[in-house]
Parts: sequence; C-alpha cells; structure tokens
Amino acid sequence: MPGKPAHSERSVSTYCYQCVAGPDLLKVRVEDGIATEVAPNFDAAAVHPAGGKACVKAFGLVQKAYNPSRILYPMKRTNPKKGRNEDPGFVRISWEEALGLVADRLNAARKAGLTDEAGYPRVAASFGGGGTPTAYMGTFPAFLAAWGPVDMSFGSGQGVKCYHSEHLYGELWHRGFTVSPDTPHCEYLVSFGANVEASGGVCGVKRHADARKRGMKRVQVEPHLSVTGACSAEWIPIRPKTDSAFLFAMIHVFLHEHGRERLDLPFLRDRTASPYLIGPNGLFVRDSVTRKPLMIDTATGRAVPFDTPGIEPALEGSFAVSGIEVDADEEVISHEDVPATPAFARLVAHVKDYTPEWASAICDVPAATIRRIANEFLEHARVGETIDIDGTTLPLRPVSISLGKTVNNGWGGYECCWARTLIGCLFGALEVPGSTLGTTVRLNRPADNRWSSVKPGPDGFMQYPMNPTSKADWIARPSARSAHRTLVPLVADSAWSQALGPTHLAWMMQGENFAELPAATPPDVWFVYRTNPAISFWDTKAVGQAMAKFPFVVCFAYTRDETNHVADVLLPDCTDLEGVQLLRIGGTKYVEQFWDYQGFALRSPAVPPQGEAKDFTEISTELARRTGLLEAYNGAINRGAAGVRLFGKNYDFSLVPDKVHDVETIWDASCRAASAEITDGAESQGLAWFREHGFRVKPFPRLQWYLYPKLVAEGLRFEQPYQEQLFRIGKQLGRRLHEKGIHWWDKQLREYEPLPQWHDLNALWEGALEKHFSVRIADYPFWLITARSMQYSWGGNVGIQLIKEVAGNVAGHGNVVMNHAAAERLGIADGDLVEVRSPLDQTKGRVMLCEGIRPDTLLMIGQFDHWVTPFAKDFGAPSMNALMPMMLDLTDATGSSADLVKVKVTRVERSV
Amino acid sequence: MTRWAMVADLERCVGCQTCTAACRHSNATSPAVQWRKVLDVEAGIYPNVRRIFVPVGCQHCADPPCMHVCPTTATRQRADGIVTIDYDLCIGCAYCEVACPYQARFLVHEPHFAYDAATKNEVERDDPARLGVAQKCTFCADRIDFGMENGLAPGVDSRATPACVNACIADALHFGDVDDPDSNVSRLLREQRNFRMHAELGTSPGFYYLYGKTSSPEVGNTTVPDVALAGGQLRAHGVEPSLQKHWDWKAAGNFICGGMGSGLFVFTAVASLRYDGLASLGWAALGLVALGLFLVLLKIGRPLRFIYVLRQPQRSWMTREAWIAAVFFPLAGAALWYRQPALLVAAAAVGMLFLCSQAMILREAKGIPAWRTSRIVPLVVVTGLAEGSGLFLAATAPFAELQSLAELAGFAALLLAALRGWIWRSYRSALVAEGAPTRTLAEFRTYGPWFFGIGLALPSLLIVAGGAVGIALPLLFTAAGICIAAAGAALKFMLVTRAGFNQGFALTHTPVRGAGIAGPAVKPGWSIP
Repeated sequence: MPGKPAHSERSVSTYCYQCVAGPDLLKVRVEDGIATEVAPNFDAAAVHPAGGKACVKAFGLVQKAYNPSRILYPMKRTNPKKGRNEDPGFVRISWEEALGLVADRLNAARKAGLTDEAGYPRVAASFGGGGTPTAYMGTFPAFLAAWGPVDMSFGSGQGVKCYHSEHLYGELWHRGFTVSPDTPHCEYLVSFGANVEASGGVCGVKRHADARKRGMKRVQVEPHLSVTGACSAEWIPIRPKTDSAFLFAMIHVFLHEHGRERLDLPFLRDRTASPYLIGPNGLFVRDSVTRKPLMIDTATGRAVPFDTPGIEPALEGSFAVSGIEVDADEEVISHEDVPATPAFARLVAHVKDYTPEWASAICDVPAATIRRIANEFLEHARVGETIDIDGTTLPLRPVSISLGKTVNNGWGGYECCWARTLIGCLFGALEVPGSTLGTTVRLNRPADNRWSSVKPGPDGFMQYPMNPTSKADWIARPSARSAHRTLVPLVADSAWSQALGPTHLAWMMQGENFAELPAATPPDVWFVYRTNPAISFWDTKAVGQAMAKFPFVVCFAYTRDETNHVADVLLPDCTDLEGVQLLRIGGTKYVEQFWDYQGFALRSPAVPPQGEAKDFTEISTELARRTGLLEAYNGAINRGAAGVRLFGKNYDFSLVPDKVHDVETIWDASCRAASAEITDGAESQGLAWFREHGFRVKPFPRLQWYLYPKLVAEGLRFEQPYQEQLFRIGKQLGRRLHEKGIHWWDKQLREYEPLPQWHDLNALWEGALEKHFSVRIADYPFWLITARSMQYSWGGNVGIQLIKEVAGNVAGHGNVVMNHAAAERLGIADGDLVEVRSPLDQTKGRVMLCEGIRPDTLLMIGQFDHWVTPFAKDFGAPSMNALMPMMLDLTDATGSSADLVKVKVTRVERSV
Repeated sequence: MTRWAMVADLERCVGCQTCTAACRHSNATSPAVQWRKVLDVEAGIYPNVRRIFVPVGCQHCADPPCMHVCPTTATRQRADGIVTIDYDLCIGCAYCEVACPYQARFLVHEPHFAYDAATKNEVERDDPARLGVAQKCTFCADRIDFGMENGLAPGVDSRATPACVNACIADALHFGDVDDPDSNVSRLLREQRNFRMHAELGTSPGFYYLYGKTSSPEVGNTTVPDVALAGGQLRAHGVEPSLQKHWDWKAAGNFICGGMGSGLFVFTAVASLRYDGLASLGWAALGLVALGLFLVLLKIGRPLRFIYVLRQPQRSWMTREAWIAAVFFPLAGAALWYRQPALLVAAAAVGMLFLCSQAMILREAKGIPAWRTSRIVPLVVVTGLAEGSGLFLAATAPFAELQSLAELAGFAALLLAALRGWIWRSYRSALVAEGAPTRTLAEFRTYGPWFFGIGLALPSLLIVAGGAVGIALPLLFTAAGICIAAAGAALKFMLVTRAGFNQGFALTHTPVRGAGIAGPAVKPGWSIP
C-alpha cells in the first residue's frame, strides 16, 4: 500500500449515527494511535441490512477528530453583549470553572423553581439531527430526566424541515412515525419527492438498488431531477406543492374508472372503517347503547355494530338507520331512520370531481400521465395474492407510495399523507409485504417496538395518545414554549412531542405575543448540542436575534458556529471517534432500516480525546453531582435512560445510586445489561467484550416488519378513510381555544376535515406572502425549494473538508440550480452570481444551469450561509433558510410548514 | 491468465461518492486527488431528462496509452493487467496524463492538506514519494496481492478487494478476473448489457459499465448522442472535455522553440553547403532547441531525475526526442564547427528527425483529440519548417550580401507557409470529420483567420512587395519572416495550451433504472460528424 509503513496498527469497531438513516456500523483503522481510515464493518455483513456498509458521511469522521478548528478547551464568553455583530470574546477556562459556571446557573434556576412565572421550564435544551444526538450524548438524557421539566421546543429544524405531517398522521394511522415502502418486495413505487437515495442511508440505497435490479419501477414525481429521480425509471416534474391533486386524481381513477373488483374489498370491509355509516352531521352513526359505530349487514340489510362477527358489510349505498352521532364534547345527536352512507361511499363521492384532467392543470402534468401512473399502480397491486413470511401467510401487495419533505409537511401534508394511506387501503396495500409500512414509533409507547405499541382503542381502531381537548382536561396553560399540547392533539406527549410541536412558535413567541398565551420567557439555561438553529431553522435572522436574548447558553461545541456565537460557555465533548456509548440497533427504524436482528452496538473510542475534550457521560455525571442530582441521575441510568435498563428478570447491574461512577463503569454496566437482555440473563459480558466484537444481536422476526398481522390478531382496523375522530377533536379544540379567546389558530382548525378537500396551496403561499409583506407576488416568479444531500444532511459536518470535496462531485451543491431556458430568458448564464430574494430576505450564490428542473423552480441543496463556522463560512453557498418567514398563515394544524417560498432572481456578477 | 477488472453497474450507482471518500482514505491521497470518483451526468432536454452517475478512474487498459508514452518505464503493466507507476522512476513529465483518455492521472507538485496545516492523520500517512510524480488508481494492488498470497479471492473477500468496491453502498462496483469465466464479474458481463468507455480508441479498458439486463430490450439508435444535439445547453461540468492543464506554456515553449530551432537549423545547414557566414545562425538554432528542452526541465515534477527520460526508446516518443537531441546537439555542433557537407546534411537530417519526434509526441497523446489525430504530424513538421524558414528569412534579409539567399528563402518560406495553411485546413477538416471537442473547434475558429492573415496573406504581400521594391526588400522580407514564424509559434501555443481539450467522458448508453429501456448515448461537449 502506498504510504510509509505503520509502527502499530489496529482496527476499532464503532458506529456512525450522524443522520437519521443510521446507525452504520464501521471500523476505524488506527495507526500509531492516529485514526487514518474508515471502512465498512464486514463482521456485521450478515446481520446489517446493508451488509455492514457505512455511508459517505462516516468518512468525514477522521478529519472531524483532527480538524484544527476544533474547540479543544472549555471557554467562556467575556463580551456580555450578544448578537451577530458582537465578538463573543471567548477565553479559555478550566473544566472546573466551566462546570462551576454551568452548575451555578442550574442551581440558581432550581432554587427559583423548575418552571418560571409563565409556567415554562427554566431549563431548555435543543438537539439536532432528528434525535441522533442522543447516540453521542452518553448519559445526558439521564441528567435531563433527573432534572425534571426541560423545554425542548426550541426547534433546530424539526417541525419545519422534517416529515412532520407524516410523523403525526403516520403514527395515528399505522404506527408510522416515518413511512417506507417494503422495498424488498415492492414492484411499483410512486415517490412524491421522497429523496431516498440522499436521505435513506446505506439501507435505503442498498434496498432500492436491489429493487431496481429486481425490476421495481419507481416513478419520481418532483419539481427537480434529484439523485432519487435520477435513479428512478421515470421523472415527472410536478409543480411544487401540488402533489395532493395528483394523489387525489389517482384515487379518482381507482374509484371512478375501474370496477370495484380491482380493489381489495375484504381489506376495506374488515380492516378499515370503510363500511362505517356516516350520519347527517358527518359523524359515525353509532349504536345508541354501546356507542359502537354501525355498518350495514348486506345479508339482512340491517345496521349492526362494527364488530358483529361473520357479516359482509355494505361499502356503498344509502341506508335509513337509527342510532346516535356523538359530536364534540360528547354531545349526542339521536336519529331515527335518517339517511346514512358508508364511509367508502362518502369517499367515492368526495373524489368524483378530482379527475386527472382537473389535476393536470394544477400539477402541470398531462392528464394522460397521471392516469397512466394510476393504472400502472393498479396493475401491479396483485390484489388477492399472498406470500409466506416466517411461516405466516400474508397478503402480497407490491405497490407503495412514498412522500418526501415539503410534500408530507406543512399545508397539504394532511391531504398527501391521507391520500397515500388511503390508496394503500384501497388495495389492501398497507402494512403487508410489498406495500407501505411504518418504520418506527416515537409518539406511541413503547418506542422500541411497533407491535407492542398496538393497543385496542375506541371504534375498533388502534388507541392513540391524543392530547386532551375535553373541557376538563385540555391543557390551557402550555408546558413548553411551543404550546404543543395546547394546540396539537396529534402530537401526543412522548419524549419526542415537544420537539414535534410547532417549534417555530417557540421562536416566534420570543419576538411577539400570542393573545391569551402566557408571554414567552427566555429559558434561564439553554443547552445546545449538535445543532445550529441559527443556520438550520427558517428566518434565521429572527431565530438568531431570539437566541441572543437568552441569558445563559451552554453549547457543547465542536467548532465555533453561528449558534454558539451567543453561548456563555463552550464545553468541548469527545467527537464521534473519541467517546464511548452503547446504542440499541436493529428491529425496524427509519428511514429504511428493516433488520432481521436487534441488539446493541458500542461506540468504542478509536483515539484519545483531542485537547481537553471530555466524554459526554463524564460531563453529565459531573453536572448531576454539582446539582445534587446524583441519586436521581444514577436512578435514571438504572431505569434505562442511557439506552438499556440495567436490571431485568434474571439480572441486575444497577449502579449504586449515591456514588459518582466513572465512564467505563457506567458503560460496562450497560454492556452487561445489554448482554443479559439479549441472552435472557444467561450471559453478562461487559465493555471489554463489546470493544472486541463491536455489536451483539439476536434475531428480530421479519413478521414484525408488518403491522397487519398484529391488527388481525387484535381484531383492529386502520382508521381510514373517514377521519371522524379528527373531525370531532378539531371541533373540540376549536371550542377550547375560542373559550379562551384564542382565534389566531382558526385557520389551522379548518384542517380537521373528515375527508380532506383539495386546497390551492400555491395560492395560499402566494396570498400569505403578499398579505404579510405587502408585495406584488408576481414580482417573485420562482418557487424556491431545497433538497437533502447525502453528504451533508443532519451531519453537522460542513466544516469537514472531505465532505465538501466529495459533495462537490454531486451537481448542485453550493449553487442556485436553475432551468436553462428560464435563465436564458433572464439573461443569466451558467456560473453567474445571482441574488435570490424572497419577500423576507435574500441570499447569493452561483447559478448552475441544468435541464433537470422545472422552469418555474429554483433549487438550493442543503443549508449553508454560514458566517462563523470555520471553513464553511468561506463557501459562498446560498441557503434558502433565511428567505422563509415563520408565519402562522403558513403553519398547518400539526404545527409545521414546508420548505417553500417565492423568489426573484437578479444577476449580481457575470460568470468568470 | 488473470485480468483484474472493475465492473460498475450504472443501474445501481446513486452517485453518493462513498467510493470516492473510501479511496481517499485508503490511499491517503491529497485533497481533490480522487483516484476514484463518480461523475454526475445529465442528458436530454427538459422535461425528458436523464441523470446518470458514472464511476470513473484508471481503467487499467489492456493497451494503456499512458504506458506507451512513459519515457522512464515508471508506468508498467503487470501480468494481471494492473497498470502501475513506480514513483521512484517517474519524472513527472505528465506525458501520461495527456495520453490518458480517462483523466485518471494526477500530478501534485506541492503538499496539499485538508486545512492550512497537515492534520495528524495526514502527517501519519504522508508520502513525499508521491510529490512531483504521476499517481492514479492501483486497483488497490496491495490488497489484491495480499489476497493472492493468502488464498483470498479478490472481489469476493473484502480483505483482497479494492477499497472502493468494499465501500460501495449500492453494490454498484464489482471487481474480479474477467479471464475467469466463472468469476463474479464474468457472470455479470454475461447477464447484463455492458460497454467500455471510449472503446473506439482501442485502449481495451479493464473497466466495464453495466446498463441493463441482456434480457431487456436494447435501445434503438445509439449512434447519435442526444447530448450532442443540445448545443452546449446541458449541465456538463466535469463531464465534457476540459482544457488539459498538465502541459502549460513551458511545454508549448518546447514545441515552439524545438520546431523553430530545428527548422532554422535545417535551413541553415542546407544553406551552409553553399553560403558562408551562417554558423552563428546555426548556433542560434541549437540555442532555441536547447531553450525548449530547458523549459521542459522547468516543467517536470522531478527535474533532478530528468536523465530517466532516456529509459524507454522502444516505445516513448519523448525518450526518442531526448535521444535524438542527444545525437543532434554534438552532431550539429560539429557540423557548424567543421562545416563538413556530410556532417551538415547528417545534422539537418537529425534535426528533421527531432522535428518529427516532436510531432509524434503529440500524435501519441491519446487523451487529447486535437493532438492524437494523424494529420498533426505533417502539421507540426511543416509548421516547424515554416517557422525555421521564416526565421531564416528574417535573419538573412537584412544583409545585402545574402540577398540572393534571402530571395530563395523568401520563396521557400512562402511555399512552406502556403503548405502549412493547406495542411492546417486539411487537419481541421479531418478533425471535424472524426469528431472533436466543440471548444477545440471553437478555438480553431477564433484562431483561423489570424493564422491565415498573419501567417500567409500578410507575408505573401510583404514578400511580393519586397520582391517588387528592391530597396524595401530587407525590411519587408524580415517582417514576412517574422510573421511566418510568429504564426507558427502561435499555432503551437494555441494547440497546446488553448485547444488541448481532453477526451471528456462519454457513455454509449444510459442505463435502465429498474424498468424501461436503456437510453441513448451521451457525449457532452463533442461535435459529432
């Protein structure tokens, strides 16, 4: 091999979890004590869905460890003024002083009360990367658990840049916090902007490459030709944010252009609410005694409760029935012989006018194309066929629809998620092999297994932990600054809920009061780790100004960046290759991690910490000690706050609660508990074993990839097509808000439609911008969108030279991507420096002309515009984040919006 | 026999660059030195557009142009087909880099680091032997050798497989022995349609691209690349031919000085058979040739090893040029010194050989379409003679005692300039007929009128006028000579530094992606006849 001979060489097993599509298992080559090379972990080839391969981001970790711009020592701010133009004046301090400063603030906050006068937690924390920072923060979750209420609602991108509607509605309908095709069995996939080749990680890429070789046809419907579009059989350039019309037209084709025999009628009858009768008030007609929804038994023509065995219920027709409707706040409306129609019949009528011809004008896609795609989907659905999975016969429905960011969040997200799930139901193609699957749960409990989270709820559906909207239980006083439980019933109350509330509200409320909510206070202490909301959120100028007002900011800091620019204390933690942590792996998880195994992997230090960087677990323990929370902290670790419960039926490796334990002791106990959990208490190998082997797994039954068998076992139905529960809850929520005098959420309340109507989202966006900024929207002729980058997304790795270098091989990085003909009309040439201006702000970048984008659309990949982060601040790359306003008008009922804004382009400088 | 080869499945590749990063790690290459990388290619016109990801790097050709031109034998081919570079022999002349049609070779003169100073891992893996020499993909030969020594199958066992193949997350890259009909790669090549890039150049690459199953329908007409029709509209950065940067003005200087010098010497030597007092012109000619070679010395990465240039006369025209120069200088010096007719004739003949060797150097640069065409040889030779005649004319015209000689020289220069113009036209037509980078042809279009104006029309006028108005002859003939020489110099400067666009990258088919049929050929930036 080229290169000088090494004195010593070893290989260290670890993982990379820089993005939500991880973790990837990998090996690090260490020469003379220095990490030099990242490689796949082929020891895991047989158990990992992608054969032990690691994604390109993992290869940045070596430079990450040795980046000369790293913060290697604790630092404190000397300039009390905060803001973009203020030099923080960071000076080096000792760990003793740094931890003392933090502990003093925490102790003061604790003394003043865990919540402030407004009722908000005094301590806040923001973590980025779709929850992945927990894979690096060691026992910090145990510290937060020991602390008590912590406000996690200051978003770093979640809510506005995630699959937000999909998270909430997906969990409601099929335990699909994220949703994936069953790629290994799928034969026909319509992908609306889902960018799996960029954001699906190694598992997504491998599964889809295998599927292509199998002959799966994927149609990419997206305004630009993304890498995923590139790898698809067909690209359909749709007008931005019109996907719901395309989907509705597909439903129209299925229901109005083909015979019912093409649908999976048994599935619709038995596994959905299609036969449930809808009364005059748009609610289920229920048995007046049991309150069970009624349906028509076709044999007798009589209305019977939904769980009557052995009947074939009617899906269509109009019937005179007696019973009750239960409206908001349990108001009962009694009926005698009123006309009622099955939900399915309502659906058929609902989509009657949503023809491909109607959609064509909206989507700017030929009607024939929409019809062809619908028909191809139908041809591939294989209704009636079965497949054997782990000895169980399941339906085989190799058709699926996936939705991407901007399609499945913000206004329209409800329509698209609904249509996607509903189309699955029409063909029995939901949660069965080949079809559309949920990958994980984050709002339901327990979070580590989708099957376990399935519990019978009312009306024959799965139980869902809605936030209460009843008069008695509605949470009028928000517990977090996003008011998530107050405004969004669907967001539930799990550990993830705060971060999924309308997180931009938390930022907006720092600048403006929302009538009848407590004035939002800044947190006394704000912890920040692996996130940079001053870059990654929207309206980054406003977010930056809001955080500059926070009195005490603690940033676990890798390098200087735009958020830790306002920090009071910088704490350097071990980077990925330096720290130790045990992580749960396997099972099913987003994005396309469907394993046949489950277990644990160790992040084993490959190299010693650089400078004075400390392991996160050591920092957490020390903060717990200094705040007098040691016992609660150790208790939280024992209960599993660090990833694995330390005791079980046949074993107990619990830490002594009132002692300070070093990092090795804590993770040795975790490793022992993990070994015991996997072997049912038979074995108890600890840290040393994991260091040697890297990971430990046991089989995970493939049957559990699919929720359908669990629903069959529980006798449950998918809550489709008619959203009676949401309709009712929306009404209740409206009443509560209005009772409190809150009317600024009224637009959001309108989303609670039982069958979603199509809404002109282009007009909604344009109207909102026009109204808010008093501009003539015609002056902003382009839609600006973004796309994820496999090289950068979630990685927090903009300072890594190798990543910049290899991302440079993928077209569009760092550029304003523009259609050639559109540019020609404006006299803009390839390489010209342009200003892209929205009604809010502007960004600059060099134009890259191509054919693979709609003429009315501009694209900026990733998130840049850095002005502090070393290396990245010299990119000169544009970012759309500063251009997008945080506005209630652009916020949907789930509390999210989408990466979309209208812009104009002017040339600043000709190409050199 | 064994022939190791790479197979890239274009249906699978997603352009993620994990192979690029893995190669950078495994081989510890400098920033931006990507022995393996993946191109991002666009083809078609909105809305009928395809985007294709194409892994590229050294193709380990069976008939590698880089090896043929290497003057030092640093580039060799192993029995198993792997093309290697011996860093201790390479002088960094970059001839291989212009000979390679795949842009696979890199030449790094100064240490480059990820950040301002070397990081710890860069210090650990630093290899000064790679500075100033050519470097490229080795197919991770060390891993293959390790595998063979330990009974592991390259391409099957990860320890014996190139790092890029191991790292590929889409299983798009495969490696194996194409001479073994039962190997993984042979099976793939049987089962799937495939092509090799630039196969028409006869390099027989050891790198295959899969674009669809053999059972799937073949695409119809692939003879007309749809990209060529796009009139340069396509996003083609990094794919279309780019201007070669390896040979700069110093390399051009060698062709200019070498051509002028050898041409001038030929005229001087022949004239010296009848005329006296031309020795100093002969010495000046030798000085020009020497200056050209000195410029090359300034350019190469390892000038202290320049003597290794003599190692491969059996194949490399650069070596032959050096050997010819080694004979030419003493022979020409002796001829000038002794003014022996036989010596003068012999030296003039060797001068011609030197001129021919320079032409052949360009002819063998298979990576540059404007150079590799056969008509480059008469063009360079005649241009050298025309330049020589021009200089000779300019040098003799001012002297009354040499007027008869100058008149002869004027006539000869005019003839040669006309011949040069005719060959230039024929060279251009041939290139257009063969197909060439559009930007090369654009350069030619820009240069052409000046060339004919300064190089032929103006000197013709000046010479006719000088012949007609005797008193003005010295001045007009001198000016004409300078014009003819300058036009030739400009031609070569343009050819080397402005029109030297490389082959670029091209696909004979765009791949099937799960369903459908393969797409037509893609050859961005080319003028296809």
